[in-house]
Amino acid sequence: MNPKTAKIKVFRFNPKKDGSPRLQDYDVPLTEGMSAMDALDYIYQNLDGTLAYYDHAGCSLGICARCNGRINGKPGLFCQTPITADTILEPLSKDKVIKDLVFKRGKDQAE
Amino acid sequence: VIIQEVKKNPGSKSARRQAMSARKVETDVLVIGGGGAGFRAAIAARDAGAEVTLISKGPLARCGATPMAGADFTLDGLSLSKLGFPGAPDDTFEKAFNDIVTQGYYLNNQKLVEQYLTAAPDRLKELIGWGLNITFSEERAIFTSGIGIMDTLLSRARASGVTLMADTMILDLLTENGQVTGAFGLDVQSGEYIHFKIKAVVMATGGWHKAFWPNTGMRDLSGEGIAMAHRAGADIGNMEFITFCCNVLLEPPMWLGSIATYVISLLAGGTLTNRNGEEFLNEYDPLMVQIGTGMEWNKSFVSYVTMKEVNAGKGGPQGGIFYGRGDVPWDDFEKAATMLIPKWKYKAMDLRPLGEKFKAGESIEVGSAVEYFDGGIRVNQRFETNVAGLYAAGECTLGPFGANRVFSAITEMLVHGEAAGKNAGAWAVKSSGPDPKEATLKFHEDQIETLRNRMSGLRIPEVRRKVQEAAHRALGPIRNPSDLASFVKLLDNVKADELPNLSVSDDSRSYNKEIIDAIELENMMTLLEAAAKSALFRTESRGVHYREDFPDCDNDNWLKETILKRTKDGFAIETEGIQPVHKSLPSGKMPYLDMMKTMMTSRSDIGGHH
Repeated sequence: MNPKTAKIKVFRFNPKKDGSPRLQDYDVPLTEGMSAMDALDYIYQNLDGTLAYYDHAGCSLGICARCNGRINGKPGLFCQTPITADTILEPLSKDKVIKDLVFKRGKDQAE
Repeated sequence: VIIQEVKKNPGSKSARRQAMSARKVETDVLVIGGGGAGFRAAIAARDAGAEVTLISKGPLARCGATPMAGADFTLDGLSLSKLGFPGAPDDTFEKAFNDIVTQGYYLNNQKLVEQYLTAAPDRLKELIGWGLNITFSEERAIFTSGIGIMDTLLSRARASGVTLMADTMILDLLTENGQVTGAFGLDVQSGEYIHFKIKAVVMATGGWHKAFWPNTGMRDLSGEGIAMAHRAGADIGNMEFITFCCNVLLEPPMWLGSIATYVISLLAGGTLTNRNGEEFLNEYDPLMVQIGTGMEWNKSFVSYVTMKEVNAGKGGPQGGIFYGRGDVPWDDFEKAATMLIPKWKYKAMDLRPLGEKFKAGESIEVGSAVEYFDGGIRVNQRFETNVAGLYAAGECTLGPFGANRVFSAITEMLVHGEAAGKNAGAWAVKSSGPDPKEATLKFHEDQIETLRNRMSGLRIPEVRRKVQEAAHRALGPIRNPSDLASFVKLLDNVKADELPNLSVSDDSRSYNKEIIDAIELENMMTLLEAAAKSALFRTESRGVHYREDFPDCDNDNWLKETILKRTKDGFAIETEGIQPVHKSLPSGKMPYLDMMKTMMTSRSDIGGHH
């Protein structure tokens, strides 16, 4: 039996190379209790190493709030938003994108 | 701080190598690490009159282990009562000293224990003065939040005039004639290189949880501070002592590695069962079970017995055991559990479904995962290393806790940070050194550029996961020589055949995750090799290091630290005997659990969780 998969559409944009942003589709196996962050980890680790999301620091447990973005258009933390079906993942500010889901924040990045 | 743009090699042969720029930063003291130790060091160095730049790998005040902490600050109960808390007026320096040293199975650096206890009251008093909010207190501890500590330190550092750099990594230190001269850094977001000219460094990069899977740490804790200090010539030691936290959530994926269940079990009690529904703790001495589950002794005791169950084939599908509230009435259980997790929510983590499970009498799978590193960069009581100008503070040091930590690492980071920062600042304002060598900086840049241009080869995340999972198995609470030897072999093979062939999928400079992951992986491998070889070298069982083939705690031969001296292409293992300062050392051999029980019952008559 094939595991259930979801189509995860991820915002892709490198302002230094691309003319305009696009949504890229990835098929991600669904597991019970997985988050949007788990889906991004799966994509990066198994499907596409070019994907950028804020991963080099952060807690994945809803404390540091560094993985904030839009899940199906709604602001939230990727790490604490469950994924159960097809989902669109986008950065919080599309006009401040550094690469894909990583975007420039306020002065010296503090909360 | 001087910042200027320097264009490098505008006409070099490869198109990809063009327009590479390096920012230049000059400062007296470079603090590497954006957790509590780093921030406290930066404030102290600034107070000593030095220009200070603090490097935070991730967001300011939201990276490192500190924001994740519960958090408890421990000190002796008499000092706590003098600060206006109930504390424990009948506690003394001697009693607290005794307890830290027996919790550490006598492997503690007693001078650092003395420094910890002596400095702790002042560090707590000043934090309160800076506005830290305290939730509640007990005999030897106050409880607050890691985020509260970080926010307090952040505003103090800003007010002191510390220059703060977020989302920046330091990749290597530069030295000349055994003295720090500079550092090579990377702006994670832009991919720009940064050349630092400095007089002193305080290394405060915390643990290296990321070398293991699963783990309980932030995504940034990959140990590059310890690895780069060692490359710069600093001794490291006791790398085999790695604390696994028990009762960590292993499911669902969204909560993997959370210590919420650990905290709940400590406050609310409950029951641990194996896959057959058996309460396996009953097989152990009732006093050990009582102490070893009701205090932070549980990290070593419960992790050890959990692995016994799992190794006997009685574990769950995720490699753990099961935690539920057992006979504890729901109202009592919920009241205790929600002391630190109000309404079953912790920040953005919504644990109400977990609460419902417990209410219904169900269990959840939990297990042991890497949580704290007792070893690290070797420092003296002034937090100097054997490299001039290089200081270290907090979890990245070979600190005060010996073979097992029960007292708080929050206190450790603050007492270390303040002293290291003060000493580094004083040293920096009166020292002068040569400029960092351009050729060395170029060498480091070329290494990254080579990787950035290697577009075919092995995928970094796959190699990393293989190493992380093997580390979790080999360096866990129960160790055996064949697994350790196979793990060393695996590391050798990865180092020889795979690290040189790691490739990237994208040559972009902007937020190139694969490049960061490759740098981290190499550092993690350095520390894993150090830990595995030290674990093989230490032919006894003590604290969080248990060897199946050497199950005795050997006080005749092993009351010594494992010290790794940097050599041209690796390290040489030496030992350093423990020097008693306030407490004499035991002799003889004793079976591991007997020694544990002896250490547990050596505790003085002060209550509380430490």
